[in-house]
Amino acid sequence: MLTESCKEGRPMNRAKIMVVDDDPDLRQALSLRLRANHFDTVNVCDGYSAIAMGQKEHPQLIILDLGLPAGDGFAVLKNLREYPALAGIPVIVLTARDPEANEKRTLEAGAVAFFQKPADNEELLGAIRACL
Amino acid sequence: MEDEAAHVLLIEDNPGDADLVRLRLVESKSAVHVNCVPRLSDALACLDVETPALVLLDLNLPDSRGAETFRRIRQKAPNVPVVILSGQDDQALAMKAVQQGVQDYLVKGDVTSKQLERALRYAVERQGLLRSLEINRKQQLEFKNQFLSHVSHELRTPLTCIQQYVTLLLDGLAGPMAPDQTDHLKTVLKSVNQLHAMIRDLLEATRADSGKLHIEPRCIAIGELIEQAVAMMRPAAAEKRVGLEVGVDQTIPLVYADPDRALEVLINLIDNGIKFTPAEGSVVVKAAMVETDPAAVYLSVSDTGRGIPQEALPLVFERLYQDPNAVDGNRAGLGLGLFIAKEIVTLHGGRMWVASQQGSGSTFSFTLPIYSLAKLLVPVIVDKGRLRKAMVLVRVELTALPKSLRGSWRETCARCLELLRRCVYVDKDLVLPPMATSALVETFFVVASTDMERVNIMMDRIRGQVGALPQLKASGTLRVAAEPIPAPPAADPRTLEQQIWGVADCVTEIIQQGLWSGHNFSEKENQEHAH
Repeated sequence: MLTESCKEGRPMNRAKIMVVDDDPDLRQALSLRLRANHFDTVNVCDGYSAIAMGQKEHPQLIILDLGLPAGDGFAVLKNLREYPALAGIPVIVLTARDPEANEKRTLEAGAVAFFQKPADNEELLGAIRACL
Repeated sequence: MEDEAAHVLLIEDNPGDADLVRLRLVESKSAVHVNCVPRLSDALACLDVETPALVLLDLNLPDSRGAETFRRIRQKAPNVPVVILSGQDDQALAMKAVQQGVQDYLVKGDVTSKQLERALRYAVERQGLLRSLEINRKQQLEFKNQFLSHVSHELRTPLTCIQQYVTLLLDGLAGPMAPDQTDHLKTVLKSVNQLHAMIRDLLEATRADSGKLHIEPRCIAIGELIEQAVAMMRPAAAEKRVGLEVGVDQTIPLVYADPDRALEVLINLIDNGIKFTPAEGSVVVKAAMVETDPAAVYLSVSDTGRGIPQEALPLVFERLYQDPNAVDGNRAGLGLGLFIAKEIVTLHGGRMWVASQQGSGSTFSFTLPIYSLAKLLVPVIVDKGRLRKAMVLVRVELTALPKSLRGSWRETCARCLELLRRCVYVDKDLVLPPMATSALVETFFVVASTDMERVNIMMDRIRGQVGALPQLKASGTLRVAAEPIPAPPAADPRTLEQQIWGVADCVTEIIQQGLWSGHNFSEKENQEHAH
């Protein structure tokens, strides 16, 4: 039931969201919830793949963890800006890290919202819908 | 002392005594360089420029006497060892100074060069030891805080995983659930939430310990905040069949406090009240003024629970205190809630205390400072004992675009406020504490003690700097306007204090009534959009 595939029965005009998190279980759970809410998902597990997959898949929104291998969340935010095709994609940061030390920094780096894990599902979905 | 000539600062107003000490130092053949000053003010100036290896100090100087002299030196150079030079008659004072951190004392006229050399050498060594102990203690504390902070963050990831999958199951995203299964999962989720609260408390207490707990005071209507807290706690009270009532005096003035933090304190106290009150009991939240203390609002949360034993009363605000008689079902937290609440209140300059009668309930009370515009205004509107001649109120209004996100909009407003503070002169202009207003419109006010000409320049600067903030451009609009504050008549018979109150009232009226006639600005100038 819980697979990472997102291709099955994709109707047209569903927004595509890229989930960047190094924890496979969290990626899967979030992906499942997003698909249940009529979004398509692409999952990646590190900072490098986030940029590579972003260029390939052109997601409408990115949910980004901060603690990542191969380029942390801040590096991803910085790199996204350097690719004109990716620079306009809204990024929601979802991290276990402390908002006090990180919220301002991520928003300054270009993220549109900051959520600390565990986040309230409805609040997160609300923020996603507001961006699309 | 070290081989290199050590620098000794000798603070002594009696030239005879000073020469004697110099002589003894020369006799001792220690390689020292002595700099002698007669007054505390000279000494403080010296300490600004260089750090001596040691201070030799006479406590009674022309410009300072007794323990105060040492306190001032200590404040200026906390890490420099101090040896007191005392007279025969003030050894008691010198001894007292030793208890307060002076390394040693020598009685003037009674000192041999050997004693002096030994005293200086030991003082330096002891101070070094003290300093390394202090550094060590700080490192340990820092390590403990980092450890706790790290652990709390690492706990969040598995906790998030549990929360995610439990809610997936509960929401039926993995197939239908039997009612029993749903109930069990709800119990799991409740525990997840408790664990989450504990992690949050742990981090908060760590922050409080390391002085990193921050508050952002605003001007708030405390009655509304109480209503909000009570509304949030009503389901919990209803579930336990505990009554939850509010008694707020309608004449309560505005309070100067961080609304999120104050809400946290109220919720903590109400939650405790409900937890320790049996079914059919009640919890009452009150806010009132007390005649003897007009600068504070008194808030209290009373319950009809079983109360706190007399011997436990002094302990309830201690870290990790837990009620030893907590019955099952009242699963205790970490015992940090009241500690954090008290820290928050203290940060606001308030007090928190508890009164309790075993068997009939407890009342937790705390104070928050009232918002006194007059007090805030004094430093900028008074110059050389008189009111400044021209004063203008500037309004900076930020309006969120409909699509902006709540969290990031607040952050954007905070950034704008930061920028706004950089657009004004610290000694002449005052950015008023932000009002807790609607979620979509944030209004900041600046009281500028100056004429319209300079205000125009200031407004241009605000439009340029705040208006250029990318986050604001993306999510909202900016509007800047100004209104002169009527100056008191030239021959004002009122006292200065009354005049200040008058200005404060006037500012309040303009803000509350929205008296923005804009007669100094055309509509075009008034409306400045960030786009």
